Amino acid sequence: MNHCIQFAVPKGPAAFVRFANGACETGAGKHPSSDVRLMFISCRHLSAMFENKGIPIPLKGFTKLPFMAKEFSAITRRMEYFLKPTDDLLQDTDYATINTLMTLHTAGRAVAVLSGTDAQSKAVAGALPDGPMVMKILPDGTAVTLTVTKGKITMEKGEHDRPAALLLMKDMATANRLLNQKIDPFTAIALGDVKIQGQIPMIDTVDLILDRIPHYLQP
Amino acid sequence: MTTPYTYKNSRRLFEKAAAVIPCGIYGHFSPAPLVPPENYPFFAQKASGARFTDIDGNEFIDYMCAYGPMVLGYNCEPVDRAAMAQLEKGNCLSCPGQVMVELAEKLVNTVAQMDWAFFAKNGNDVTSYALMVARHATGRKKIVAIRGGYHGTAPWAQTFGHHGVTEEDAAQMVRIPWNDTAAFEAVLEQYPGQIAGFIATPYHHPVFADNEMPAQGYWQKIEALCRKHGVVLIVDDIRCGFRLDLRGSHAYFGFTPDLVCFCKAIGNGYPISALMGTDALKSAAAKVFYTGSYWFSAVPMAAAIATLDEMARINATAAMLAYGEKLRDGLIETARRHGYDLKVSGHPAMPYLRITDDPSLMLHQRWCGECTRRGAFFTSHHNWFVSAAHTEEDLARTLEIADEAFAVIGDNPQKK
Repeated sequence: MNHCIQFAVPKGPAAFVRFANGACETGAGKHPSSDVRLMFISCRHLSAMFENKGIPIPLKGFTKLPFMAKEFSAITRRMEYFLKPTDDLLQDTDYATINTLMTLHTAGRAVAVLSGTDAQSKAVAGALPDGPMVMKILPDGTAVTLTVTKGKITMEKGEHDRPAALLLMKDMATANRLLNQKIDPFTAIALGDVKIQGQIPMIDTVDLILDRIPHYLQP
Repeated sequence: MTTPYTYKNSRRLFEKAAAVIPCGIYGHFSPAPLVPPENYPFFAQKASGARFTDIDGNEFIDYMCAYGPMVLGYNCEPVDRAAMAQLEKGNCLSCPGQVMVELAEKLVNTVAQMDWAFFAKNGNDVTSYALMVARHATGRKKIVAIRGGYHGTAPWAQTFGHHGVTEEDAAQMVRIPWNDTAAFEAVLEQYPGQIAGFIATPYHHPVFADNEMPAQGYWQKIEALCRKHGVVLIVDDIRCGFRLDLRGSHAYFGFTPDLVCFCKAIGNGYPISALMGTDALKSAAAKVFYTGSYWFSAVPMAAAIATLDEMARINATAAMLAYGEKLRDGLIETARRHGYDLKVSGHPAMPYLRITDDPSLMLHQRWCGECTRRGAFFTSHHNWFVSAAHTEEDLARTLEIADEAFAVIGDNPQKK
């Protein structure tokens, strides 16, 4: 079943989720051929839907609403399961691995968004030198690249071959604790659990922005 | 070839430290910017002259000099003798010792154009006091500072977005680029009658970036603009002070500030800082209430007098300049032999180095780390410090280590 769902707040953010041939693709902005269009009167309204506390205004794709109610809701519930860990769930290695990988990508996306929207993050991102910064989990090498261009940050999966700065987490467990703010990065760096190289001010700044994420995720 | 150092005891102690101290080691002594940290010692055991020994027994020729305070050498006998003599008489008492007046007189007679001195402990104490004096004297709020300049860790000295700093903390700070007098003029125009002070270091010495000397006529133009607009001109001479010129770095660069902040080299490691000013601001300084529990302790004051005397006696600034120039030239030549371009910026007594062949700094970080684990304590992010205690033997060994470290990281394949 192929579907493209458009989420949009008038004069606000827009994004789409596209399911095609068993794969899922996401993107910022408007998709040219969405078959479901959901409108939200405000960002708060949009957030409420993701918290299961609000209902969107469907502008297109009324016939696809059963998909939204069943399959799409199931996917979002599954995402929530992996992104809201408990200490018990994190004891399961497979769960912790998925949680870590999703947190890495979510954190990367959040840094990109906050650098352009959050006043505190914009203030520090504006002083960043241009270039790619790679965050990578060793030893298998799952990585994201944050690219700074004139104070704006974008995120891509995978690693850049000539990064300006490198942040390497020694294993999945370290990455999980670091990304979930359960260890102090300075101590982790000194102990060698986290390695940093290159333009350290980029890493410092990304750390400042990462620390802004909980501010927006707390209810 | 030198056997690289190992740091088993440093690592073990750091783990204990991390259990009871935030970050284990915090602030500018944090191992985090020492890349890679496994090449660096974390804890020192003892020191003498220009060398210190870590808790694993490794000895280093020190190019950080405690990040500036050590200027005459560790355990400098004349300074320690003066400090110990004062300690026998008394240190923290219920009244200041006469040594406070003697030190103020010594500084007024040493530092060009300054008429009074006020003592505290750290650089940030006196930069913050300078701002308060400027604000009281002018009845204005805003302070102009240089983007990337460092004046301590008080909330005003950091920028919005950093942990624990609110928008309000930074609201009265206006930051402009270094060496840009037009930007200062634009700010004066944008905020007429609102600028209380202009604060900057004598030359621009940020971390992770080349250091920049003032352009021809820069300070003279800044001084003229401050005079024209009634702005208090504050020099943060905490890092450079007494390394460039015993009369203060403003004398070295040929201008007259209203307030000058000193720390680091003033006491050769004994904790003391000073704000000095002109007569015109003495009354304003008297009215701003500002003090601290240990600011009147006599031992550091006695040490500071002895430090100033000893620096004058041996012409320490000339010694540091000469050593710094030989170090700079030797390291550049060593790098060149391996196919690398080593850029050295800033004053020779406080050089900032960078291998330009890799803008990411990763190569430079690797080289500094390899030098450090062979006995030359090099950081890759911060300007270094040279002292009057560095010897020809230190220089020769440093260049030997630098050569070995280049051999370890490998010659530049693109230039061989």
